[in-house]
Amino acid sequence: MTLRPSTVTELAALVAESAARHRTFRLVGCGTWLDGGAPVATGAEPLHLDAFSGVLEYEPGDLTITVGATTTIAELDAVTVAHNQWCPLSPWGGDDGSVGATIATATPGPFAHALGLPRDLILGLECVDGTGKVLRPGGKVVKNVAGFDLVRLMTGSWGTLAAITSVSLRLRARPAVDETWHVPLDDGAAARAQDTLRRSITPPIACEVTTAGLLDTATQAGLLVRIAGNAAVVAAARAEVAAFGDARRVDPSSWTEWRARKARRVPRIPSSPEVRALNDGVRRAFDPAHILNPGIMG
Amino acid sequence: MFLADSLRAIVGDTHVLERAAELLVYESDGLPGYHRTPSLAVFPASADEALAVVRELARQGVPFVPRGAGTGLSGGALADGAVLLGLQRLKRIIDIDPVRRVARVEPGVVNVSLTRAATRHGLHYAPDPSSQTACTLGGNLAENAGGPHCLKYGVTLNHVVAAKVALPGGSVVELDADDGGYDLIGAFVGSEGCFGVALELTVKLTPNPERIVTLLADFSSIDAAAQTVSAIIAAGILPAALEMMDQATVGAVEASIYAAGYPTDAAAVLLVEVDGAAVGLDEDVQGVDRICRAHGAREVRIATEPAARARLWQGRKKAFGAMGRIAPHLVVQDAVVPRTKLPSLLARIAAIGAANGVRVCNVFHAGDGNLHPNIPYNANDGNESARVHVAMRQIMQACIDAGGTITGEHGVGLDKLPYMDALFTPDTLDGMCRLRDVFDPDRRANPGKVVPIRYCRERRPKGLMGDGRRETGEVTTATPGAAALGAAEPDA
Ligand SMILES: Cc1cc2nc3c(=O)[nH]c(=O)nc-3n(C[C@H](O)[C@H](O)[C@H](O)COP(=O)(O)OP(=O)(O)OC[C@H]3O[C@@H](n4cnc5c(N)ncnc54)[C@H](O)[C@@H]3O)c2cc1C
Repeated sequence: MTLRPSTVTELAALVAESAARHRTFRLVGCGTWLDGGAPVATGAEPLHLDAFSGVLEYEPGDLTITVGATTTIAELDAVTVAHNQWCPLSPWGGDDGSVGATIATATPGPFAHALGLPRDLILGLECVDGTGKVLRPGGKVVKNVAGFDLVRLMTGSWGTLAAITSVSLRLRARPAVDETWHVPLDDGAAARAQDTLRRSITPPIACEVTTAGLLDTATQAGLLVRIAGNAAVVAAARAEVAAFGDARRVDPSSWTEWRARKARRVPRIPSSPEVRALNDGVRRAFDPAHILNPGIMG
Repeated sequence: MFLADSLRAIVGDTHVLERAAELLVYESDGLPGYHRTPSLAVFPASADEALAVVRELARQGVPFVPRGAGTGLSGGALADGAVLLGLQRLKRIIDIDPVRRVARVEPGVVNVSLTRAATRHGLHYAPDPSSQTACTLGGNLAENAGGPHCLKYGVTLNHVVAAKVALPGGSVVELDADDGGYDLIGAFVGSEGCFGVALELTVKLTPNPERIVTLLADFSSIDAAAQTVSAIIAAGILPAALEMMDQATVGAVEASIYAAGYPTDAAAVLLVEVDGAAVGLDEDVQGVDRICRAHGAREVRIATEPAARARLWQGRKKAFGAMGRIAPHLVVQDAVVPRTKLPSLLARIAAIGAANGVRVCNVFHAGDGNLHPNIPYNANDGNESARVHVAMRQIMQACIDAGGTITGEHGVGLDKLPYMDALFTPDTLDGMCRLRDVFDPDRRANPGKVVPIRYCRERRPKGLMGDGRRETGEVTTATPGAAALGAAEPDA
């Protein structure tokens, strides 16, 4: 039987009852990256979270949005673009993965360097921890220091502390001008150009050292750059990019392609025994029976 | 050995205070109205001494409260019979790496000192609380402090890379955003001294903008000013700062030594700063100017020279001090509401003030929706105090009902404890306590703050498991709600 709870209450009850019996789960969002990250212990049953999907609250004037965790990145993009806004989450991988998994794995993307990591973009969440408790830390406003920060704790916890059911995010207005450029450069030169551009007074919103064959078989290795802002800023940035070589304006879909190629991060355990002890303590506090994604994060 | 003696052996005789008269200064923080007396105060000179102090306190099982400059606005650094661990002597900037754009500092470094030291590299430390000439980076870390320029540059959380922390039990951990495992540095930032003592911080430095322009727009209605805030953001302009002051605040500022030339007949003024590359900045300046006028601004002043800009900022940065002229005491609130709710919330706050016969002065980070409705009052007037408290509670509730939060940057401390359960469910509060217990299982670091104790299940050690780990059992304590609430009421 497929496990697919349809409400948070149902999910909480299932987890609570399972904790007592040590029944273990592999949390599944959109299921696009189950072999990614790290292998979950065998015997863990797939627990599908796809009921928690869709836009829950969106007031464009606030530049914030709350979505069900299994909403896809593509849907988040489509909904916000309609209001001339966007969320720079765009994780490595693709757009068919879920917002919840992006938060759970803290997967950044090409915009993270300039516009923030998942931890910087998330405002609040709802989740069910390994004891079956529903937690709603953080909020929907852009600044919030009320209480200890369970939002940051859950972000990047790889589903080992809680199943995330909804997420509130910060949005940005779309820039007036937004261009993507590709400059063919060999590896060393591309890395140096990346560093220079990132330190520029008009830095790009994304700047990636890319491999050959990215856009078509003829595309050489080089730098993929996205410059955005008002017309004057973009003109200055464009000139800077062009100074590095034979720059060619390319389609913004190049980013989707590059995101699909780039290696994603995998969970690691802390390097020192002291921090490891804290880390284990956190796991015991939120999933004492070790039933959520067992095998990941120790 | 008595505690004081063993602490003297670590920090030297003159750096342990025990006499009531000496402890008086440490009875309050930046928020007037609360007084709590520490049992003693100890001031280590180095990270090693601080660690030795933490270990001695752990050995003797004594509760303690870390303290930076004591500028906090939530009663967070108050020690009620606990040991006050002062960190302001740890004020070394260990190093600045202009290439990687990071600085390593001790926790007692004053916020603005780091910016001053980084200036010669064309860098600055971006989070700039209005108290930046006094508050410490350790206190900023513990509160996840914000400031006017956090609208564009982000709050403390976004600028802390790593921290060396003495856990209350006496071990030392290096929490690093690049390390594996859970985001423990993210969890530590904003933990208000309850998770341990930050002994060393690594923070990001930000390049100075090429050009800065400050605008002052004045409005004949608060509503028009509030609508302008949303309109600027919606237009895709991201100002470095977007601050608002109402007539009461402007009046207080202009009557003080910090007079900045604000129009006293305006219902509200907006202080907007745009910065960045010189190229393209004029477009943003014109955009802001146009939006302000379209929303009924009577006048828009534009300052580009440092002296003129500093004068426009002075009134904002000193507004709290100026309110001190109006009455001896001040309630400071810090709620955040969704930006689009600002107009209705400000109207509601004015109505609440009028209904209770109290004077509300609004001076706040409008771009973030971070309100500071402050009420100057005389705490010795029992009737007025009571009305102020009713008004505050109603304002907080209105902000929560609007989908907001009770604190955007000042922290919960003692002052906002009574509102925590209006905002969070008991299970969420219990989750927060579970996180605290991982860092401080004995609950000795800044006890009684942030989460009302009645929501914290007691987790007693049930014995040791084979691998030396502690297994925990849970017992629910029945702390009477009223008593816990009472603990958070100001004493004045
Ligand atoms: C006029 C005025 C304006 C202000 N403006 C702003 C503003 O714009 N934005 C803003 O965010 N705040 C503002 N504040 C509040 C205050 O300045 C900040 O909260 C600041 O971060 C506190 O720093 P501090 O060194 O004074 O900390 P303290 O008040 O001494 O302590 C604050 C908390 O931090 C803990 N703590 C201190 N040092 C450490 C450490 N090394 N390790 C662990 N815990 C520690 C304490 O236990 C306490 O809980 C303002 C205050 C005043 C008086």
